[in-house]
Parts: sequence; C-alpha cells; structure tokens
Amino acid sequence: MTRVKFVCDTERCIECNACATACKNEHEVPWGMVRRRVVTLNDGTPEERSIATSCMHCTDAPCVAVCPVECLYQTDLGIVLHDKDICIGCGYCFYACPFGAPQYPRASLFGSRGKMDKCTYCAGGPEPNGSEEEYRKYGRNRVAEGKLPLCAEVCSTRALLAGDGEVVGEIFRERVIHRGYGSGAWGWNTAYYPEEDGA
Amino acid sequence: MSAALRSGRRFTGYRVAGAIAAVLLALVMAWQVYELFDGDDFTRPVVQWGVPQDGAELSGVLAGEALAARTRLQRDRFNSGPAPDADAPSLAYGDELFIVTAPLDDGAVLTGAWARPDEAAAEVARPSDRVIGISSLPYVNADLFERPFARDWRVGIADVATHLGAIAIVGFSFLLALMLAVRGRVPILHGHSDRPRVKRFGLLERMVHWMTAVSFIVLALTGIVIAYGETLIAPFSRVALGDIGWLSAWAHMMFFPSFALGVLVMAVMWTLRNLPERRDLTWLARGGGFFTDADDSPPAHKFNPGQKLVFWSAVLGGLIMVGTGVTLMFPYYWLDLGGMSWAMLTHAVIGVLLIAIFIGHIYIGTVGMEGAFWAMWGGDVDRNWAEEHHKLWVRDLEQGANRSPAE
Ligand code: HEM
Repeated sequence: MTRVKFVCDTERCIECNACATACKNEHEVPWGMVRRRVVTLNDGTPEERSIATSCMHCTDAPCVAVCPVECLYQTDLGIVLHDKDICIGCGYCFYACPFGAPQYPRASLFGSRGKMDKCTYCAGGPEPNGSEEEYRKYGRNRVAEGKLPLCAEVCSTRALLAGDGEVVGEIFRERVIHRGYGSGAWGWNTAYYPEEDGA
Repeated sequence: MSAALRSGRRFTGYRVAGAIAAVLLALVMAWQVYELFDGDDFTRPVVQWGVPQDGAELSGVLAGEALAARTRLQRDRFNSGPAPDADAPSLAYGDELFIVTAPLDDGAVLTGAWARPDEAAAEVARPSDRVIGISSLPYVNADLFERPFARDWRVGIADVATHLGAIAIVGFSFLLALMLAVRGRVPILHGHSDRPRVKRFGLLERMVHWMTAVSFIVLALTGIVIAYGETLIAPFSRVALGDIGWLSAWAHMMFFPSFALGVLVMAVMWTLRNLPERRDLTWLARGGGFFTDADDSPPAHKFNPGQKLVFWSAVLGGLIMVGTGVTLMFPYYWLDLGGMSWAMLTHAVIGVLLIAIFIGHIYIGTVGMEGAFWAMWGGDVDRNWAEEHHKLWVRDLEQGANRSPAE
C-alpha cells in the first residue's frame, strides 16, 4: 500500500525558495499565507543547513484529531486534506501541528481567523477532483493526474523529494551511502513514526 | 409554625425526574468511560484514492503504482541514467485525471501499518527534536521547523480536556440527579412563613448576576459546541456542525465582555462577604446540612461556604477564562507559540471544570433547594428559608434593623 511522504535533504537544499514560490503560484495561495517555506538552521556557521518545510501529512495526524468541526481528514495515501466550507478558523490545528503548517488569513481571532489553508500535497480538497471550485479553494489537484507535489518536482537540486514513501526513502538512502555523510530524514519520526520516540 | 418538619422526600415529581435523569446520565457516563479506554483515539484515513476499473471498483494498487513510478523520476542521474538516450519515462502524464477519490470505511489498519517503520525507514529517520531556525518570511513562527510537543498538546486537548472534561460534567450531573432522586429537594423545613419576606439581593446585584449568568451560559453552550460538536452535532450533519461551529465561534467572543464585566462587578460587590472564616470548616465537614432533613443545619452568614466556593470559582475561574480567552484572541501578541499552547489548554480545562461547577450552582439555585431561586429573582426570601440556611445573616439583620431599617 502506497504511503506518500516528503523528505528534504539538507545536504542539498540551497535555500533557493523555488519550492515555496512554485507552490504559491501553482495554487494561487492568497497573500499572507505560505504552504511551503524554507527554514535555515545555524545561519552563518559552517553547520548552516536549510530545510524546506510544509505540512508533512503525518501518521495519526494530530490536526485531524483536534479539529472541533471534523473539517480535516486523511486519505489512504496518507495525505491530510481539509474542507474549507466547514473550517471555523479556531486555530487548534496550528497548536497541534508539529511543523507549524496551518495558515490563516487573519492574525487575530475575533470569532474566527478565517478559513485555514495548508499544503494539500497538490491533492485538492473534498470538491470533485480537478473542478473549478476545487482549484479556487485548494489549488491544483496534481495527484489526480498521477503527478507529485510541484515543490518537489521543481526542486533543482532534488533536495526535496515527494511521492511513494518507500521509493523516497530508497533514493535518500542510496544517496547517503553514495556520498558517505549527511544522513537523517528531518522530521520523519515526529511526522510518520510518532511512537518511535517513546512518547 | 407547624410542629412537624417537612421532608425533602415529599417532592415526588422532582424525585422521579431525578431518577430518570440519573439513569440516563449513568448511561452517558458509562459510554464516556468506555470511550476513554477503547483505544481508538487515533486518526484513520476516511478517503481512498484509486483508478476506476470496469467493475466500478477503484484500484488503489494502480494509483499507487502510478505515483511510485512518478516518484522514481526523482532519482539521481547516477542511477536513473541520462535522458533522453535511456528509456523515455513511460509515466510522464498529461492533464488527464485518472486517479479519483471515494469514501473509505476500514482505514484504521492503515494508521497502524504506517506507524511502524520498516528497517530501512527506521535507519534514515532522524530522532524527534525541537528544531527552530531562521526564516526570511515576515510571518510569526515561519522559523519553526519541528515541534514534537504539538503531539502532546493534542493529547492534552483531545484526551484530558475533552474526555475527562465530559466525564467531570456528566459525572457531576449524575451525582446531582442521584441526590435529587434519593433525597428530594432541600425543603423549607418549617414551611412557608407568614412573616414578611426578607430582602436578600438588591436590583443591581440581581442585574449583575443575571447578566453574568446569561453570558456564562452562552459561553458554555458555544464552548460545548466547539469542544463536543463532533460527538453531539456531527452525527446529524457535518455541514450543520460547520455552520453552528462558525456561529458559536462568533457568539463565544460576543458574550465575553458582558461576562468579564459581570465577574468584575460581582468581585467588587461580594468579595468582603465571601472571605473564608474558621467556622466554614465545620460547615463543610457537615456538608452544609444538605443531606439531612434535620433542623440543625450549620449556621452561616449571608454566603455559606458552599456559596463562597461558587463565588471564588466564578471570580478566579472567570478571571482565568477571560485572561486566557483574550490572549487567544490575539495570537502571539504577548505569548509565543509555547505560551499560546498552554493558554489554550488552560482555557479548555478550566472551562469544562467551571461548566461542571455551575451546573451544580444552577441545580441548587432552581430545583435543588426550595425557595432559593426567589432570592435572585424577586430579591427577597421566605423568612423560614433565611433562618434555616443563613442564621447568622438573619441575626445580624435583626440587630442591624434596630439601628438602620433601610438595610
Ligand atoms: C440559570 C442559571 C442560574 C441560576 C438559576 C442562578 C441562581 C442563583 C441564586 C438563586 C443565587 C442566590 C443564592 C442565595 O440566595 O444566596 C445565586 C447566587 C450567585 N450566582 Fe447564580 N444562578 C445562575 C447562574 C449563575 C452563573 C452562570 C454564575 C457565574 C458565572 C452565577 C454566579 C453566582 C454567584 C457568584 C452567586 C453568589 C454566590 C452564591 O450564592 O453562590 N450564577 N445564583
């Protein structure tokens, strides 16, 4: 059974932000929100590394568990999607998200912060796949076309990998063995194997 | 004054209603306790992807294969070979939508399977860690990469606040219903008196009380929609839950100013009379005399220790709720993400506790005790009620009356 994942190879990410830009454009993500962004660690030191991050589409996704109106849901590929018609903009999913993925159009919570927006793994939402309405609310549905998230597919250094988790893991592992350093898939335990930390 | 004391057990209708309520609440309680231990509190997939086959069935395998083939295109040149001499990728798709979605019933097994890494994945996965860097984006928290605490937050809100909160609310209501069924109402032992009624709460006090009460009830109900809508409303309609949830989120905010104001004014009006006294311990040890029909309830001033506890719950609990609530309305203005997470948890936990406490208060103020309601409604109480429940207050009033009849 296919389970999709993301991994960002920090030995390769050059903080070009192409992933973030392509994502914003592909989905026409509104002003003030980003579905993918790049975080730089140890800036200005020899250990400087950059990681492109977004919703990781977690196993046992905590955002789905805390949503008070059941607007978030997961698919059998592991992709976590949500229904903007139902979202009340309460912000719970943000507190429950280990990767700071959910975004809101408004900064203060006067009743609502507006409809939450986040990475859809380029898989749209509950509307009919590929429909005009789906595009307007969630952006392009590439998965329905058999394609993978654009952020990974545009990555010029192939730092960001998306798709079948096993294949992605294999590519990453081969690469680490080949170059002999820089192992460790960032965020994987927190996102995909929550029980592995004895938590 | 009639010699025979009236019994709380003669309120048969109330007791029958109490018994029925107790049975229903016991059932709800049992269900909630079961929910706490049935171990199904994890996220399961509810939608499947697949390529439509002739027989209307979706093939998830085909969808998976298509995506896996596409994934392989990301392999490095040294193992995928140079293009275009090698095989042209056979699965470079066009715009055709060939993978569709459908509801999925048995997703629970997937969650378990996903959570177990195979050896290869376990080898590459980095240990969980809090990771924060810098970001060139101008958004709060844009510099956050990983924050494992969020998974614990989910346990706090979904298990502790919501589940244990439900058990606190339902369990306490059950005890009250049981008390009503067994004991009946707390009666006015000597029956209604012919003597003039005693003034208990002035107009301002009553107005403030009811303003606060109405606000609290709206806040509680809208809060319950947000906390328990998934259980109470979603089974009927998920779309309705969205609409009611949206309305609740707004109403929850609209009614907080009057609640905050009410709590503050109550604090100013009543704090002096609610300071604890040594005598309160005896009163509490004897359960306020609530459980017997004997004519020797422990003496109390204007507010007995039970009421003092209610008062302090309203004032301290209310201030915590208002403080955390206002904080939540302005994310990250004065607290960071960690602080906000705790504010949210505190708001939820104290919220459900206050709901439980005030169910008790409303119970005593209406059906639980004969004659109590009129203190807060018309403002005066039956003389016998006053003497039975607030001896010291009546004594002070009588002594004071010789000096200033107005009070
Ligand atoms: C339908 C709902 C309610 C009813 C019927 C009710 C009834 C009453 C009554 C009859 C009293 C006077 C008790 C006495 O004679 O000493 C009272 C007092 C009081 N009420 Fe309520 N109440 C309600 C809701 C609330 C709520 C929601 C709050 C708080 C937010 C509240 C806070 C208080 C406080 C602080 C007092 C004074 C202390 C005490 O007597 O316990 N009430 N209420």
